[in-house]
Formats: sequence, structure tokens, C-alpha cells
Amino acid sequence: MLQPLYRWIWRHPGPRARKLLNFAAVEADGGRDLVRAAELTRDPVLRRLYLAHASDESRHAGLFRGRGIELLHDHPSKTGGSVYEAEWLAPGERGLDDLRVEKEGDGALLAFLHLSEKAAARAFAQYVDALPDDPATREVFEKVLRDEEFHMNYTRAQLSRIEPEKQRILIWRARLGRLWKGYLRVATALAGLVSGLVLKLIYFLILPPFALLAKRAAARETEGWHAIAAERGAATGKQDQS
Amino acid sequence: MNILGISAHYHDSAAALLVDGLPLASVQEERLSRRKNDAAFPMAAIEWCLDHAGLELDALDAVVFYERPMLKFDRVLSCLLRSFPHSRHAFARAMKNLLGEKLWMRGIIASELGVPGSKIFFTEHHQAHAAAAFLTAPTERAAILTADGVGEWATLTIGHGAREKGGGTTINLGREIRFPHSLGMLYAAFTAYLGFAVNEGEYKVMGLAAYGQPSMVDKVWRTVRRTPDGAFALDLDYFEFQSTAARSYSQRFVDLFGPPRSPYDPIDFETEDGRRFADIAASVQHVLEDLLVDIARSLHEETGLSDLCLGGGVALNGVANTRILQASGFERVFVPPAPGDAGCALGAALYADRICFGNSDRAFPDHPFWGPSIAPDDLVRLADEDGLATDYVDDGELIEMTADDLAAGQIVGWMDGALELGPRALGHRSILAAPHSAAIRDRLNRDIKYREEFRPFAPVVPAEEAGRFFELPRGEDRLARFMSGVFPVREEWREQLAGVTHVDGTARVQALSKEMAPRLYALLEAYGRRTGVPVLLNTSFNLAGEPIVNNVVEGYSTFRRSGIDILIAGQNRLARSRKRREHIRQEQSA
Repeated sequence: MLQPLYRWIWRHPGPRARKLLNFAAVEADGGRDLVRAAELTRDPVLRRLYLAHASDESRHAGLFRGRGIELLHDHPSKTGGSVYEAEWLAPGERGLDDLRVEKEGDGALLAFLHLSEKAAARAFAQYVDALPDDPATREVFEKVLRDEEFHMNYTRAQLSRIEPEKQRILIWRARLGRLWKGYLRVATALAGLVSGLVLKLIYFLILPPFALLAKRAAARETEGWHAIAAERGAATGKQDQS
Repeated sequence: MNILGISAHYHDSAAALLVDGLPLASVQEERLSRRKNDAAFPMAAIEWCLDHAGLELDALDAVVFYERPMLKFDRVLSCLLRSFPHSRHAFARAMKNLLGEKLWMRGIIASELGVPGSKIFFTEHHQAHAAAAFLTAPTERAAILTADGVGEWATLTIGHGAREKGGGTTINLGREIRFPHSLGMLYAAFTAYLGFAVNEGEYKVMGLAAYGQPSMVDKVWRTVRRTPDGAFALDLDYFEFQSTAARSYSQRFVDLFGPPRSPYDPIDFETEDGRRFADIAASVQHVLEDLLVDIARSLHEETGLSDLCLGGGVALNGVANTRILQASGFERVFVPPAPGDAGCALGAALYADRICFGNSDRAFPDHPFWGPSIAPDDLVRLADEDGLATDYVDDGELIEMTADDLAAGQIVGWMDGALELGPRALGHRSILAAPHSAAIRDRLNRDIKYREEFRPFAPVVPAEEAGRFFELPRGEDRLARFMSGVFPVREEWREQLAGVTHVDGTARVQALSKEMAPRLYALLEAYGRRTGVPVLLNTSFNLAGEPIVNNVVEGYSTFRRSGIDILIAGQNRLARSRKRREHIRQEQSA
């Protein structure tokens, strides 16, 4: 159903390149989080799997980055900053998001990873279909997809191993957590939009006379050395002492 | 008196704990959170400092923050108003950033730590830099120069300090240069133009500079000029950092120097663009050095003092530090191991203790090891769980074995004692290798550090032997102690030290004294007995994009993910099997 939308999103090589570079950064971040998870777990099997997973993420980052750079080189004139970008329209793997690996147990982390990999695999499969004219980028997604399948499977299998009783609850909790984070992302974006608008209004309606005063003060300011008042050295009580 | 110093919210958060005037613990948040340059409120660092000291929060007499948020807000707002209406985009972003959190530091500290507001204090940013530079240096009277991007308003300060053992301390910062005129911002603008990340890639510019000729010095001097009083001023037509967060240089800057480098393009010195970028790096480095040397020289004439303490992020520029030592007239130049913002946590605590509370001066221990110590047995456990065999070896034997390994071309991950404070690995969290061939340098760049080929590696050498291999000016010992200076490798040794000799024949030397890191010192001696050259390549124990490792678990995971051949944690030794080594190399070449 979303195919026409994805085709539209991925139609220009310039934004496509930037999306791939963005995916590369997210994969690299996710890899670092997995390394952290490997360092924190007391389960040697999980440690080995997390490290292998991290190595995959790092390889994916290289693949996305390499293809993104190729596209940038092939289409230098079309990669200016003027094209509207809405990253949320083309979600990649969100890695571990803002998950605090330190605060999660292995079970919760595996459940989260499983869902995250599943969502990424679904999205990447759709991108493959949305890129009929770009076999090189399709190939990158296909390579990544093969690994995502393994990641999906091992996370599920390990969850069953270490939390056989609670696995369903953990998956549901992770699902709710993802929903909550999705809501927070939208809410934060909306709040940012509203606060940005209010601040823009303040900027243009209230600040102009103060800006004029500030410019006049700046014109009077001398360049070079400024003496530091001796009493400045001793005061530590206030946030605004000068 | 128990004083906690905090730096946070810009880059490289840290905490430091001072007990009765002496540091007990200090660590950067990134080393614990494992997020490079972590700028978050350093809760983990604070908790570790208190745990290490066995103190509860209510035992703290003062908590000192390293800058004054209101003054910073004043500067940001003033600059946005001055550049009205160009600052329309930056305004919303800056206000959300400052009003959303950073302005209310007293409240944040009080709520995070549960300490009353009356115990919370603030120093100015450059006061913290000055204290970190002067009060950690073994000198009683010194001139002080601090320079960075910006604190509140100040970007560079000069003054002098005096201290008496068991007596009072004074730090008089007499003059300052104010934002937007900033050496740190000048260098940062060129860093961004050359396609490197600001606050992270400045040392890459310094490394790149060695490949170029300062042929564009005149052009750089168009962007910055001397003022009649001996200071400097940026020509703001060439910069945009003062009005927008989007780009630090202007179109006029691009018209002057040509198209900027894309961060995704490799630097190829065979191409015209590659040479241009190297020449630009060399030119801005040259101008930075000229400005710093001139300012330091007049400070020397003004104070008549023989010692200079340098602080602030600009003091991480080892090439400039060496030129200051050679040309300013000062006999000794002191740079602390953490001259940047992380060191400000310690600086703020010291400033409050000595200057504001008037406590007596205490001699500061002359080493950088204030962080968590390793638990070597963790290596045995981890390796055992993964079916790998470790050896527990008598210390003397371990040193000899490791020297053999290094002489055979192996790369060693070295973990010993407490973690360093600051960006340099100074002997407790290091990757060590033989320094003799460029091939090992290339292997390190390619298989372990995953970084640009033009970046050099540093040598470590026993302090007593340093002069044999490197041309050291008078008073070099302080700069070389914490790897803060860059010195020429003696002509006759360049071939034998090819792995640590930069393209211009220099090296960022660490001259190691025995009492600072005795085990590494012993290793250097053992290596010297085998090869005749007691020098090792010493680079920080981390992979690209990651902070330096803190504990054994992180060292082990780095070992597993890279081409390091041997991991040493205390007296435990883990060697990678030949089969596994081959497998990793094949994987990496694939």
C-alpha cells in the first residue's frame, strides 16, 4: 500500500544518498550499543552473538556509507541542501533508539532488538521494491536484509532460551515501548514546531528594538584586550556574577 | 573539605572530587557511558567519584560548576541580537537549548544530587581552565595563558599565578579577548571547512598541516588581524558561527579559499584539491602559532616569569605548544593532561578550594591517573567463558614476554592501574607496537584504529633516553611528560622510527618518567635491551568513534573486535591464536 509513497521518497539520487548516509550513521550507532550490550551481559553466548551482531551493523554502516558516497559523487549537482527531507517517511532500522543499554536486562533488550530488526527488515524489503532503477542500492538493501533475518531469528531464539516463561510479556512490553517512543518522537516534533513558531514570533515582534540597541552597543565595543575586574576572581556564589 | 567539580553540557563532561585540597578521583563521563564526547550531566562520573572516596552526597561541602550559565546566556542572546535578522533560525534553536535546560544549572545540580543551593558554586570557564593549568603544575609562580573556542564571553585570557606551599594562592587573570574573536573558533572554522567534525577533528587539521606548505598564510591573515594593543580580531565577514549554528564559515570564506572539502571524500595528496587542503591546514596552523607566540612573548616580557601554564582546548595543539616554548622566552611550559573542558571539572574544584575558600596550597600529584582501576581477574573470567586461555605471569617475566612479542611485530593492548584523565593515553590504557616500520603504522590505521592514513602515531620513551632520539629544546620535559609537544626526530633515527615519525620528521613524544608508570617504563627498558631502541609506538586503547577503554571488559571487547594480537591486564595475558589472527586479517582484507 505504501509502495507509491516509497517510490516518491526514493526518487531522487541526492536525497537517496543522504538517507543512505543517515542509515549508515544509525547502523554504526546501533553497532556501538550492541558492543555495550556485549560488555554488560554476563551470558557468554549472548556476548558472542551481540559482538557478531555489532560486527554486522558495522559492515552495514560501511555498505550504506559506500553507496551513499557513490551516489553523491555521481550526482553532485542534485545533492544541495534545498530538497525537503522527511526522514520519518523513510524509517530505517532505528538501531537501539535511545535505549539505555545499561538499564535493560538481556530479556528486554532481546525483545526490543527482535522487534527492531523485524521492522527494519520489513522497511528494507519495501525499499528494494521501490528502487527498480537503482540495482546497486537494491543490492545493498538485499545484503543487509539477509543479515536482518539472522538477527531476527537469533534474538527470538535467545529470548526463548533465557526467558522461557516471560518471553511473550517481554515482546509485548517492547512493542508498547516502541509505540511509546514513537509517540514521544511525534510529540517532541510537534512541541518543537510549536515552540519554534512562538520563538519566531517573539524574534520578529519583540526583539527588533533590542536588536537595534545591541547593534549600537556592539558598534561601541572595542576590539582587542579587555581588562578583567579584580573582584571577578573571588566570586563563586552566583551564576551571573561578572 | 570535600569539593566536587563538574563540567557538563558542551562537550566532554567530567567530574572531579577534591578532598582536603587533593584530588581523589576524576573521570570523564564518556569513559563510563561509552558515548564519545558525552556532554550529558555527568551522573555516572559523579557517582564513581563518590563511591571511590566512600563519601555520601551529604558529605560534600561544595559542588562547583565550571562556568556561569547566566553569563553564557547573556553572550548567546547578545550575539543573536547583534546579527538580527540573520540569526532567525539560530535564535529558536539556541533558546530551546538554553532555556530548556542549560540555564538552570543550580536547579539541575540541586535536583540531580539533592544538595542544597547554598552548597552550589560557579567559577568562570577560563578561571577553571587557568586553575587546571596552574594548580596542577609543579611551579610556584607562573604566567597563565588560556585559550579555547569560548566560555562565557572570554575566548583567551592572560595573567599570572602564585602559590606558597602550605600558604595562600592567587590567580590573577588580568586581560581577556572576547567572543566572537577567538583562536579556537578560527581553528574550528577551518576544521569544518576541511571536512572534519568540530571539537573532534582539530587534531586532524594539525596532522594534515604537516603535508602542506603554508602558502596561504596571507589569505588566512585576511580573516584575522592583529589589533594595535597586541591582541587579534577576526574579520567577521568570513565567519558565520556568531550568527548561525548551520555553518561556521561564510560564502566569502569559500570565495577566498575555494570549495570546501566534503567529509565523505578521502584526502588524496596526489590531487590538486588534496594539496590545497593540506596547504590551507598548514597556513592556519602557522597563523595560530604566530599569534600564540606573540601573545606569549609579550606575557613573558610583562611578567618576567620563567614558567608558563597553558590551558584551554587550544593547548592540545602540540605543534603550537612547542613553538611557544622555543620562541616566547619562557623556560618551561606546563600543559595539564586534560587542558580542555574535561579538565575544567578539576580546575573548578581547585579554584574554589584555593581561591574562594582560601584553603592552603597542597602539592599536586604529578600524574594523570585519576580514574577507575582495572580488575585484572575479569580478563580470566571473560576469556574462560569464551574458551580462551589466559596466562597469569610473574611481573618481571610478563614484561620480558611482552617485549619479545613487541619485538616480533605483535600489537599489544596494555591495561594497567587507574585510567588517565584527558584525551591522551599516557601508559595505562594504550595500544603498543614496535615503532620501526611504516608498515606497522599502516596496519594499526587499517586494522585497529580504522582512521585516516595521514594521522601519525606517537612514541613513548624513557625520559632519560628521549634526547638520544628526539631533538628536544631546553625545558621540553614538561611538554613531553603528558605528550603535549611535538619535536623533531633526530635525522639518524628517522628510518628506525618510521612508525612514529610524521611526514615532516617530527613526533608527539611522551617522555616517561619511571615513577609515573613503572611497568610501562620497565617494558620500554626491556624492549630497548632487545632492539637497542627503547621506544614504543603508543596510541590510545580504543577503536574509531569510541572513547578510550575504561575497564577490562571494554578492553576485552576491543581486543575481540580488532586486530590486536595480545591483551595484557595487570599480570594476566591473553594471546590471540595464530588461526584466529589469520581469520581476522582475511575478514578485514575482504
